[in-house]
Amino acid sequence: MAGTFASINSALTAMRYQQVALDVASTNVANVSTDGYVRRRVVGQTLGAASAPAVWSRSTETSSGVQATRVDRMTDLLLDSRVRREHGRQSYLDSMAAALSRVETGLAEPGSSGVAAALADFRSTLADLGNAPGSDAARSQALSAAATVVDAINLQSAHLSDEASDQRSHLLTSVVEINSVASELASTNRTIAAALGGGSDTTTLMDERDALALRLAELTGAKASVQGDGSMYVELNGQPLVSGYNAARLTVTGGVAADGSATGGPVTFALDPDTTGATTALTGTFGGDLGATVDVLDNALPSYIAGLTSVARDLADHVNAQHALGFDASGAPGGKLFDYDPADVLGTLKVAITDGSKLAVSAIAGGGRDGNNATALATAVDVDDQYQRLVNGFGSSVASARQLAKNQQALTDQVDSAREQMAGVSLDEETVNMITAQRAYEAAARVMTTLDSVLDTLINRTGLVR
Amino acid sequence: MGTVRMTQGMMTRQAQTGLQSGLNRLAKVQEQLSTGRVINRPSDDPTGATSAMRIRASVANQKQYVRNANDGLGWLNQADSTLSSVTDQVRRAYEVALQGANSGSLGPQAREALATEIDQIRSGLVSTANSAYLNRPVFGGVTQGDIAYAADPVTGVVTYQPAPVASAGVLRAVSDRATVRVDIEGPAVFGADGDSVFDHLAALSTALRANDGTGINTAIAALDTDRERVTYAQADIGARTKRVEQARDAASDAELRLTSSLSEVENTDLVKASVDLQLQEVAYQAALSATSRVIQPSLLDFLR
Repeated sequence: MAGTFASINSALTAMRYQQVALDVASTNVANVSTDGYVRRRVVGQTLGAASAPAVWSRSTETSSGVQATRVDRMTDLLLDSRVRREHGRQSYLDSMAAALSRVETGLAEPGSSGVAAALADFRSTLADLGNAPGSDAARSQALSAAATVVDAINLQSAHLSDEASDQRSHLLTSVVEINSVASELASTNRTIAAALGGGSDTTTLMDERDALALRLAELTGAKASVQGDGSMYVELNGQPLVSGYNAARLTVTGGVAADGSATGGPVTFALDPDTTGATTALTGTFGGDLGATVDVLDNALPSYIAGLTSVARDLADHVNAQHALGFDASGAPGGKLFDYDPADVLGTLKVAITDGSKLAVSAIAGGGRDGNNATALATAVDVDDQYQRLVNGFGSSVASARQLAKNQQALTDQVDSAREQMAGVSLDEETVNMITAQRAYEAAARVMTTLDSVLDTLINRTGLVR
Repeated sequence: MGTVRMTQGMMTRQAQTGLQSGLNRLAKVQEQLSTGRVINRPSDDPTGATSAMRIRASVANQKQYVRNANDGLGWLNQADSTLSSVTDQVRRAYEVALQGANSGSLGPQAREALATEIDQIRSGLVSTANSAYLNRPVFGGVTQGDIAYAADPVTGVVTYQPAPVASAGVLRAVSDRATVRVDIEGPAVFGADGDSVFDHLAALSTALRANDGTGINTAIAALDTDRERVTYAQADIGARTKRVEQARDAASDAELRLTSSLSEVENTDLVKASVDLQLQEVAYQAALSATSRVIQPSLLDFLR
């Protein structure tokens, strides 16, 4: 048999519960466009009668109200980890495609102002010089065309080294961000543990935790998994980056100096200190934005620079060899037309002759108005094929990086939308929930009014006879 | 759950992605139309870019061949017209010599007049032999000097001036494989020093003055050989002119053909791009209007 006031209490619990439901709905609506917000759902539970009120006693109570046991985050650990993985890949491909596209724009090919055009122009001025070996104007034109070739190669190599230096400073800022995100995640882990221990709401902290883990995956391609205690464990190339309350510190140990200059050799990393306070070198390739930066610095740029170096060196060597076979205006054998330091071809390539009369135009010892060596020099400018292969090989890699990023985007969009399906806030749904809660609240209030009037009958009217 | 749970966020994002990709396609077509080229960077079409760069290099080569051939034709035409005048002068000298051979009917004054004409023809030939193209003597090979032949001020003997060098001559590359010599050296036209047309004319003039019948006849025979040599040289120049002209025509044809294939590879098909632009515009507007309808309504519009 229920107590007199039990139903009032039930109505009260209903009102409280509906208030929580309204509260949750309003939080959901408020965060409809918050990044990383996972929609909440209040989980209610019927308050049952005491199953064993006391020894030798028996309860005749029926259920007595409702309570909000917990607020669920509508998320799925498996889906979250897929989202992190795909976002890591996406960010790797996006950064790669963006960096390669930037370099490609600097090539100015195919067009009328790139290295290919400068080479063609140089060849044609040499042939003109062969037609008019006695002309000083033709000689100075050939020299300035040679200087244009050098300028075009230098401009391209400057673009490449600018990109490399941008990528190095980007790498350093990335490392700073990675470390700050990792330590924030470790401290969030700690806060979650404390909140769970204290029994307070951890949903907001978990949103924060997931967002940080996603950011780490985007930055480094690190794998993260939620542990039993609600903390996030993050592993970078097989080594723990965040474990429990501890975050390791990622440091650059090779390839890039602290001031952003190159130190030669590939970029290497270590965790110093790692989560246990020791130092661990990291091996293997990275994902995410960091992986793209390392890849651009270690592979894409050096291989293009090596190709361009070989083009410049072959050009200089072939032209110089032919030039040495000829004779200048005074009849002396030709010296070097191009000069470079073998240790740094692109940085030091220059035209060695400033006086047009030193151009070895004649194929006959003692000079004369013979232009046959100039014609032969035009044939010696034979690096076009090599250069075309270089540029178009690079073009193909840009196109394929872009295509891969596009394909990956489809996959990323798909997991994002699966996650959004699960975790996204639907305003219609919240409106319906809100109205349901409102009506339920009203009904509970009506229950209370009814009980009040019942009690009024009992207390004020019982026994009165009119 | 059979139905997919849709949220406002999903729809907004889908709408944004759709609009963004529509706008991207529009920008791509717009770039192709405004630059007039479908290949603006190697990655737009790596294969096409390779062809474009190759064709560009070939076009530059063919252009150069045309220029080389035109320059070579200048040399050859100059040599040809000079040789015509040489032929005329040698023929006139031959006629004068034949006239002088009729020794019985000529008095000393008439012979003197003939000898004087031969002397004039000779000095005329020397200046013809020094005719120049762009300040270079056409019969001087690769000499650095301004003249091919000079008369000794004392003896009057005319000699070929350029020092003998092992030269291939003045060459012009007119195609990928063909190189044509566009000059002809003095001795090939006028004969070697000591046995040249100048020496023969000097001998003829001396023989005429001395009324030396044998000498005149020797000179007539020699002049005949000279005439043949000049004619041969002119025929040779003519043949080379033809070769260079053919090469020039081939090169300018190739230039034209290559330029049009470059345009095929690299340039925007305006009709196609305009239709594309129209299509993308319509698609973009449709996406805009769909978006404006989809993201506005919500349950709240229907509650009071």
